[in-house]
Amino acid sequence: MIRLYLTKFPLLFAQKLFIALSVLFALAIFIMHQYINGITEANLYTNLGERAQIQAKEIAAIPELALAVKKHDLNAIKDLITLISEQSDASYIVIGDKNATRLFHTENVAINVPMVGDDNQDVLKGKSIIIISQGSLGQSLRGKSPIIDNDDVIGIVSVGYMLDRLNELHKIQSYPFIIFCLILFFFLFVFSYIFSYLIKKQMFNLEPKEISLLVKMQSAIMESINEGLISVDLNYNIIHINQFARQFLNIPQHTDNLQGTNLFLYILSPNDLLRNDDCLLEDVYDRISHFNHEAVIASRIRLIFNDKIQGWVVTFRNMNEINLLSKRLSQVQQYADNLRALRHEHQNWLATLLGLIYMQRYEDAKEFITRQSSHNQQQLDFITERFQVPTIAGLLIGKFTKANEMGLELEFDPMCQLKNIPNKLIETEFMSIIANLLDNAFTASLIQSHESTIKEKKIIHLYLSDATDEHVIEVSDEGHQIDEAIKSSIFKLGVTTKSKGHGIGLYLVKTYTEKANGYIEINNNLPQGTIFSIFIPK
Amino acid sequence: MSLEIKALIVEDEPVLAEVNAAFVQRNTNIKVIGIASTLSDAKVMLEKFNPQLVLLDNYLPDGQGIELFDYIVNKHLATYIIFVTAASDMDTCSHAIRYGAFDYLVKPVSYERIAYSLNKFRLFLLRQSSPKNLSQRQIDELFNLQTKDFADSQKSTKGIDVLTLQRIQALFKNTVDELTVEDITYKAQISKTTVRRYLEYCIQTNFLKVEIRYGKIGRPERYYKQAFI
Repeated sequence: MIRLYLTKFPLLFAQKLFIALSVLFALAIFIMHQYINGITEANLYTNLGERAQIQAKEIAAIPELALAVKKHDLNAIKDLITLISEQSDASYIVIGDKNATRLFHTENVAINVPMVGDDNQDVLKGKSIIIISQGSLGQSLRGKSPIIDNDDVIGIVSVGYMLDRLNELHKIQSYPFIIFCLILFFFLFVFSYIFSYLIKKQMFNLEPKEISLLVKMQSAIMESINEGLISVDLNYNIIHINQFARQFLNIPQHTDNLQGTNLFLYILSPNDLLRNDDCLLEDVYDRISHFNHEAVIASRIRLIFNDKIQGWVVTFRNMNEINLLSKRLSQVQQYADNLRALRHEHQNWLATLLGLIYMQRYEDAKEFITRQSSHNQQQLDFITERFQVPTIAGLLIGKFTKANEMGLELEFDPMCQLKNIPNKLIETEFMSIIANLLDNAFTASLIQSHESTIKEKKIIHLYLSDATDEHVIEVSDEGHQIDEAIKSSIFKLGVTTKSKGHGIGLYLVKTYTEKANGYIEINNNLPQGTIFSIFIPK
Repeated sequence: MSLEIKALIVEDEPVLAEVNAAFVQRNTNIKVIGIASTLSDAKVMLEKFNPQLVLLDNYLPDGQGIELFDYIVNKHLATYIIFVTAASDMDTCSHAIRYGAFDYLVKPVSYERIAYSLNKFRLFLLRQSSPKNLSQRQIDELFNLQTKDFADSQKSTKGIDVLTLQRIQALFKNTVDELTVEDITYKAQISKTTVRRYLEYCIQTNFLKVEIRYGKIGRPERYYKQAFI
């Protein structure tokens, strides 16, 4: 029944805790009460017993009583004891003779009958005793003492306290304690309630099961994501680091106990992302940083708890992977679009060729075919001749084809030449500058060519030269001109004018240019478009 | 001095391969020792016949021709490659360039261009084989043969028109003015993209020098002025 009820309304952890605490306190208080009750009761019995015994002894020691008992003078006994019993709080006093026959009873019980209780053997042998037994009035606590005359026991004095009265006395004594226990229980009850409430609050109202599930789930998530995740405290000691980050930072897998080791054991120390003036002030999203010379896009989020910064969570992605991914995605889309157009074009092309051959115009056919590739061949020859850095040549060939596929034309300035790349840049960085400028120019021109009514190929002009003591890269497009107002902000990370852009291209261009101590000039192209000019000292 | 050059044609279109082979044999006297239509065939023939030249098509039934570059490097073969690729496949060209292909041809290839390339290759081998010790001049010549120089001579001034140059230089003569690209574009009425070419040419020939100033909003601007002032 209870079980059924419990499954129907499962108790929350805080409730369980509250109930358990309350029960525990109630039990503890009950046991304490019982114990103390027992002690007071025992004390009461001992005290009264001793009192009864002392009174009995005192009475027994009265010489007039001994004389009266000896003479069997009942009236004398009665007068004597009545007088004494008025001073005593005892329930009754009984005097008996040496045969345990009752000679007197304060409560007017029958005289000259044997004393009730069957407990007088020891007394008749001359001992004083304390005893609880059934008397003629009921259960009572008695103190008994022999009356001795010349070493002979001639009678018995019995002083008794009725148990009923004793219990009453006990009750009166224990009332304050019960009240004390109740008050104590009330306070503990309130305490349990507040305690469980606070625990509940501290645990974000979550059940322990939910918390452990959450912890398990979180570590599973952290391990599974393809992104580096490190949390550190204010001293850059690692609190948590996931698999990806370990691999990226080349931390050996068997190093289990990374907790507490310093992050800068694994990352080269002057790091613009982690050790920065703004670390305490603001969070950073998608900043390009370098972990051990590898470019990453990283975010740094402050770990704030109780209004205090406890540390940071750093997440990062490998920049090369992102570049590769976006490149692949855009390529797939392009190929799909281009394929249809290409097929159509190809059919027309074959039809023309067939026609020319059928008409036996062989020279025309030859020229027709050669014309298709001659432009490409010329560009190819030009590129490989002028750009003697193979990777740059390769890049430009790629961009040239890409422009063609987009319906644009990439035109190389006749004075282009490149023998070396700038000293302060690695090849990929130099490539990145050129590639990003060209990509931007393509996009800008494409938007413009969609908008304009005149359908002619937009030309992107590239001038790349290291003939002087500078490297000059100039890319001009026929897109929109850039507003003077936003010219200074276009290099910031995340600023984009494209609807689907991520604002990284120009940021990279600027970062790498400045790295090589170069600078950028932006001019308006005429009649329309923008010219980016980059000058990098050799 | 006669030199027997052995060439291998790798092409999966049989008619085209045959025609190419016939063309090579007839017009350049290079001996075609085989036609491979697959990548694996090409590898076997390379090892067996050890040709000096391969005319390599990129798209093959069992892989891409570009893989053959690796094969040649790994096997230490003394073989040069003329890479042939479709226009839509120019990306692969960049790999070929990195691997040091002797030449790159875009399909459909004109036979004049093939002949030109093959003749140059013959010259290249001829020079390489003649004396044991090469002089620096000969080395330079060899190098020039490999770095393609198909464009017209005087390439360094191609794109520089004397009249336009004079027009721009006139702006700087008899003056100490420092001019920006904007100024020159406006005064000489030449497009900005062209102006840059001429200005950089003037720097190259030490007629002008350049100075960088930080203009409004801290953006750098290039000022050109006469070099000997």
